[in-house]
Amino acid sequence: MNEPRIQICLDGNGRAYRPGETLSGEYRLESVPLEEVRAIEVSVLWFTEGKGDEDLAVHHFRRITVDTPAAELRQPGRFSTVLPPSPLSYTGAILKIRWCVRVRVFLGRGKEIVGQRDFQLGVVPPARPVAGAAELPPAEGSPASSGSASATTKSAGRAPAKVIAV
Amino acid sequence: MLALGRRAWSTTKPIASGSDHTAEIVGGDVLAPKFRFYEKKRGNRRTGSRMLGSLGEAVFFAVLFLLGCAGLVVLLATLVVPEYRANHVFVQTQCVVRDKQLGRKDTAEGPRFRPEIRIEYQVQGETYVVRTYDIRQAYSASPEEVQAVLDQFIVGQQYPCWYDPDDPKVAVLVRGYSWWFWLTFLIPVSFILTGGAGLLYAAWTWGKSAERRAAPGARRAPLPRADGIHRSAYPSVPNPANITNSPGTELAFRLPLAGSPSLRLVVWLVVALGWNGIVSVFAAWAIGEHVAGRPDWVLTGFTIPFALAGLGLIVFFFRQLVLATWIGPTLVEVSDQPLRPGRRYEVFLSQTGRLRLNSLEVLFVCEEEATYRHGTNTRTETFRVFQQPVFRKEDFQLVHGVPFEVRFPLEVPAGAMHSFQSENNEINWKLIVVGDVAGWPSFQRSFPVIVYPPGEGSPTAASSAQGSGNVGKLPR
Repeated sequence: MNEPRIQICLDGNGRAYRPGETLSGEYRLESVPLEEVRAIEVSVLWFTEGKGDEDLAVHHFRRITVDTPAAELRQPGRFSTVLPPSPLSYTGAILKIRWCVRVRVFLGRGKEIVGQRDFQLGVVPPARPVAGAAELPPAEGSPASSGSASATTKSAGRAPAKVIAV
Repeated sequence: MLALGRRAWSTTKPIASGSDHTAEIVGGDVLAPKFRFYEKKRGNRRTGSRMLGSLGEAVFFAVLFLLGCAGLVVLLATLVVPEYRANHVFVQTQCVVRDKQLGRKDTAEGPRFRPEIRIEYQVQGETYVVRTYDIRQAYSASPEEVQAVLDQFIVGQQYPCWYDPDDPKVAVLVRGYSWWFWLTFLIPVSFILTGGAGLLYAAWTWGKSAERRAAPGARRAPLPRADGIHRSAYPSVPNPANITNSPGTELAFRLPLAGSPSLRLVVWLVVALGWNGIVSVFAAWAIGEHVAGRPDWVLTGFTIPFALAGLGLIVFFFRQLVLATWIGPTLVEVSDQPLRPGRRYEVFLSQTGRLRLNSLEVLFVCEEEATYRHGTNTRTETFRVFQQPVFRKEDFQLVHGVPFEVRFPLEVPAGAMHSFQSENNEINWKLIVVGDVAGWPSFQRSFPVIVYPPGEGSPTAASSAQGSGNVGKLPR
């Protein structure tokens, strides 16, 4: 028996999408025991990766509680949404913003199957560390730290002799 | 990956699911379901069993809630109900004081005392003799206070008393409420509130995926912003209201200074005064011993390093004060806000002060900022990914009363990432004024700006940009 999988297909061959453009596509359940499917969630979302704790925001969400015959689940499910103007996909030094379509299938007894398809919103070139940038203290008023730890501030490049924020 | 016409079927990637029954799909393959009882948790990322984690949280909050309930019941039974009955249910009668004594109980914290007065009274023809005072029968650490209470009663004299009609051998000589004792209710009530809120949250999130919890319908509708632009118009882009509410004198908007130099000075002043205030007590003590002819060298040796540190704080504070006074305010104005990639703007800089500058430079920078929790600590890391000098002037004198003023162009690079703000991550653009002062440490002042995604911009920005020109050359 094949392993269960979720295939996600984006119209437009997975190219970079512009803000305000319609993202549409299909998902298909393969080798999933359809009689066990309780619900399907389709989300279009962005999440962060990198040094910081993960942030996640859902732009489009649809939950389908399955009370249809299993045969209908064999047909691809469609989704469509108009993409927002922000945040754009971004690959930075310590932060990445990734957009994706995520399909989560809930089976009986608490089992889940998750499929994810990344796509790009907007065209922002990858960021690179600044060469030769002066290392300056954190901007006044910028969040530093809470708890007992002190903030760790890094910056690319050399450090000048002495800089005081006044 | 299967290509169907213009469609590309996904190669699904592993995601941080962590459900004990979740099949993670990697490159189209499904990994075997994992069941891990315990794993490290960094910030909000849980890599162990999600269901087990939720269950653990629910049990934790349930225990808190039950402890609070139990504490509340105990307090009600031992304090509230007896006091209420003594004040509202007990029946008044007359009693005769037969004896009185200072009741004593030895505890780990020392002896405790309470008034014990033996009274005799009659209820429906039956005589009762009991030792009592009030319903709480609490002990006190002060024998004098208890003795003062005893002195109010004279053996052999009659006094009013109140007895319990359900149990006549329970009686009191005084009634009233001990309001201060009710503060102890804060403990069980805080347990109940914390546990109850945690249980409600656990019930709300039980069985829900991260996407469902974060779905737009699961949250309150966003409110209109102060600048009239609905917040959802540019999700996760900081609200520009705070930096567009101050009109400039030369250009459209005056940028706010990040942080407050005055506040920093006040903080350093308080620190210096507090430190030296404490040290001065020990210093005065040590000096007094020396003057009295019995020098305490241990105290003296202990005090000297702290006194030197206090002296350093005073020097540092005055150095900051002189810098702030001599450098004077820095004003930065911009022709339009928020900024757009690929557009040109004009910036006005005004610097006052009374000092000689080796150089004054304005940098246009972009920084990524990531906040993460490590155990109980929260740390923030900043990384600069863009830096462009937009103005520089070298070797000149700032004259008191004559501000140095200059206008220069600012071009936001086409393709620049827009400002971004989420709970733990940010992308911040700012103009930083860096001054290299002759004979003094350099200073820097930061002025945040907001860059919007490419799109429709303000017509004023376009027109002013067209007229500004000279982008890329640094005026001197």
